[in-house]
Amino acid sequence: MKILVKGVGLTKFGELWDKSLFDLSLQAATEAIQDANLSAKNIEAVFVANMIHGKLANQDLLGAAIASLFNIKGASFRVEGACASGGLAVHLAIQSLLAGTYKNVLVVGAEKMTDVTISEITSALMGAGSEAERKAGLTFPGLYALMAKTHMQKFGTTRNHLAAVSVKNHYHASLNEKAQFPFEITEEKALNSPEICMPFTLFDASPITDGAGAVILSSENTPRRRALTPSRWTAGDVYITGSAVATDTVGLAERESLVEIPATKQAAKMAVKQAGIEIADIDIAEVHDCFTIAEILAMEDLGFCEKGEGGKFIVQGTTKLGGRLPINTSGGLKACGHPVAATGLKQIIEITQQLRGSAGKRQVKDAKIGLTHNVGGSGATVVVHVLQT
Amino acid sequence: MNSPVQIWRQHKTLHNYLNKIGKLLVWTKILVAPQGFENQVPYLVGIVQLTEGEKLPVQIVDCDEKDLKPNQKVQVVIRKIGKARSEDVIEYGVKVKSI
Amino acid sequence: MAVEAALNALGNGQIDPLKIGSITIGSESHPYAVKPSATIVAGILGLPEELLAADLEFACKAGTAGIQLLSGLVGKNGKYALAIGSDVAQSKPSDVLEYTAGSAAAALVLGKENTICHILDFTSFSSDTPDFWRKDTEKFPAHAGRFTGAPSYFAHVSGASELLLKKTKMKAADFDWAIFHMPNAKFPKEAAKRLGFTPAQIAPGFVVEQIGNPYSASSMVGLCATLDIARAGDKIFMCSYGSGAGSDAFAFEVTEKIKAHQALNKNTVAKQIKDKAYIDYSLIAKNILTKYRI
Repeated sequence: MKILVKGVGLTKFGELWDKSLFDLSLQAATEAIQDANLSAKNIEAVFVANMIHGKLANQDLLGAAIASLFNIKGASFRVEGACASGGLAVHLAIQSLLAGTYKNVLVVGAEKMTDVTISEITSALMGAGSEAERKAGLTFPGLYALMAKTHMQKFGTTRNHLAAVSVKNHYHASLNEKAQFPFEITEEKALNSPEICMPFTLFDASPITDGAGAVILSSENTPRRRALTPSRWTAGDVYITGSAVATDTVGLAERESLVEIPATKQAAKMAVKQAGIEIADIDIAEVHDCFTIAEILAMEDLGFCEKGEGGKFIVQGTTKLGGRLPINTSGGLKACGHPVAATGLKQIIEITQQLRGSAGKRQVKDAKIGLTHNVGGSGATVVVHVLQT
Repeated sequence: MNSPVQIWRQHKTLHNYLNKIGKLLVWTKILVAPQGFENQVPYLVGIVQLTEGEKLPVQIVDCDEKDLKPNQKVQVVIRKIGKARSEDVIEYGVKVKSI
Repeated sequence: MAVEAALNALGNGQIDPLKIGSITIGSESHPYAVKPSATIVAGILGLPEELLAADLEFACKAGTAGIQLLSGLVGKNGKYALAIGSDVAQSKPSDVLEYTAGSAAAALVLGKENTICHILDFTSFSSDTPDFWRKDTEKFPAHAGRFTGAPSYFAHVSGASELLLKKTKMKAADFDWAIFHMPNAKFPKEAAKRLGFTPAQIAPGFVVEQIGNPYSASSMVGLCATLDIARAGDKIFMCSYGSGAGSDAFAFEVTEKIKAHQALNKNTVAKQIKDKAYIDYSLIAKNILTKYRI
């Protein structure tokens, strides 16, 4: 496949008290439409990714609600897959383009999380877990803590390895003016921060964030009869060449293993195959570090390193800007922020900007092939995209 | 208000878990609680594997974290789930204690 | 607690829950003013739906009232009866009753076969006596101080006990063991003495010094502790007391089946008391605030 990422738009991520979900969506989508050199009239369908606005603000029908901000009268949908909502919305938008139903679609991922108390948000996010997990009072930090503990017991991964993820992503975020926490931290600060849920401290967990991201996807530059060779692609244009989703049990207890996310392996395999590449061809990736352990698991499950070796891999420096395979140059979920449904869009946007050569201070030299990895729940849904220029 | 009907359906399954024994695969301590669990914090939660094979997430009660050993033997107990609000029906469910 | 006690009883007696035909739960801390604890416990235990289920209240003697009421239903259609006394004692913070507030549950399965002890006879003695009460709209109970002694506890305990001794033509010395309701360590010792029972007779069931007063479960836990060490042929005297006020007195005789029961019982009263953890009053205070939404 070859789907053009025609336009991108991203709000700042953070505690944005004076912005509503609609303000954020309007801002991101307007930017994307302008970046695409289109007008709202050209948009035939709007895919809105959102997880909890219905629960927290009682507003459903977000597809129509956001389409109406632009007076778009075509098709509109809301897509939900917990933290993978963004990636899933992109995937579904791509399917509609591949089917030929639409030619230019808008995908918006937005989340407004800071209007409510920590207790309410913690409860709301547990909707991504199973009923049994909710009855046990097993929160998301708790779920990932169980995975981290098991990984540490089985493979000798240490809290220092976990902290290294946080330190690296904060360094990247310090170069990203859209990030929620654009400052560096030391390993010591990470290790000594308040305990959340052992082995996690405050700096092992992604924050509560408001934000929105939008992309315009287009099939208009893609002939449907034959795939083009790379040399005929318009220089500077970024295309999605692989998009795959895989599913697993919602509850962590029902899963085969606590130290891997099989849906990651499966989705990655399919996406990479669609794109006609190998995992080793990836120059840059945005992975789902909702908690530090999640980045370690991602590197292993995506195939960037062997199972169990994630800790050692991260401290080698390979995945830091300047290394062979920079991961999470946006700052990841940890330091850029994690407005749940917006994250999947942000990942696509970060890779797009990197492949376009417009990532400013975070620019990875000669990035040609990128990958995004978006996870829902503790591994129930995974969406992997491959982007190429 | 929690749903009395959902609680009613859930309660019907409880007798299947009476007296069951299992082992604790992994656990952690929750410090930031979701709604309804605030008064229990800090509390222990983990994943238990019952002798028959079923794995479930559960709260671990009546013990200190320091008394838990790897693969700790546990037994099912039926306890209150969360704290019911004034008009709620009280919910009971499966937890485990170390034995 | 009621569920746990009942599960222990069913396990120790090797009784099929589907053979239970009636259940009473006596308590002064039922979770609901309207919605029976008995059906919740029956549901969790998996008892059959063809069931006589009722909640009982009579301050601390609600549990033993159940034994007397259900004894008439035992054996009908080959069914057993389950009598439970269970309480989480409430007392007003800073009131003297806080020292003895305890929580426990005891469960007895009544039947016609395989009994570990027979009920030889029982009596009940009641009068309108306002020694200790809690109105439906109040969080904590109130009491009448020293009035809770002679005209209340002692009058009714001796009332029921003397009636039973007369009815059975027995004396204190004819019994091996005795249990009295234990609101504190003083009253039951004094009541026993006045009726002619010795300290040795009340020793095995005298749990108040370690667990305080768990209201409806008090004398029944004492009975269980006594049955944990009793031998075939032993005679046991028990007298409960409920404020408001009344007493239920019982005479039991232990059978040879007690040995098998003791062998199966991994959770004796003594063992449970031994497996304790001390908690701080700050935790209790927090629980009170939470429970009563203060």
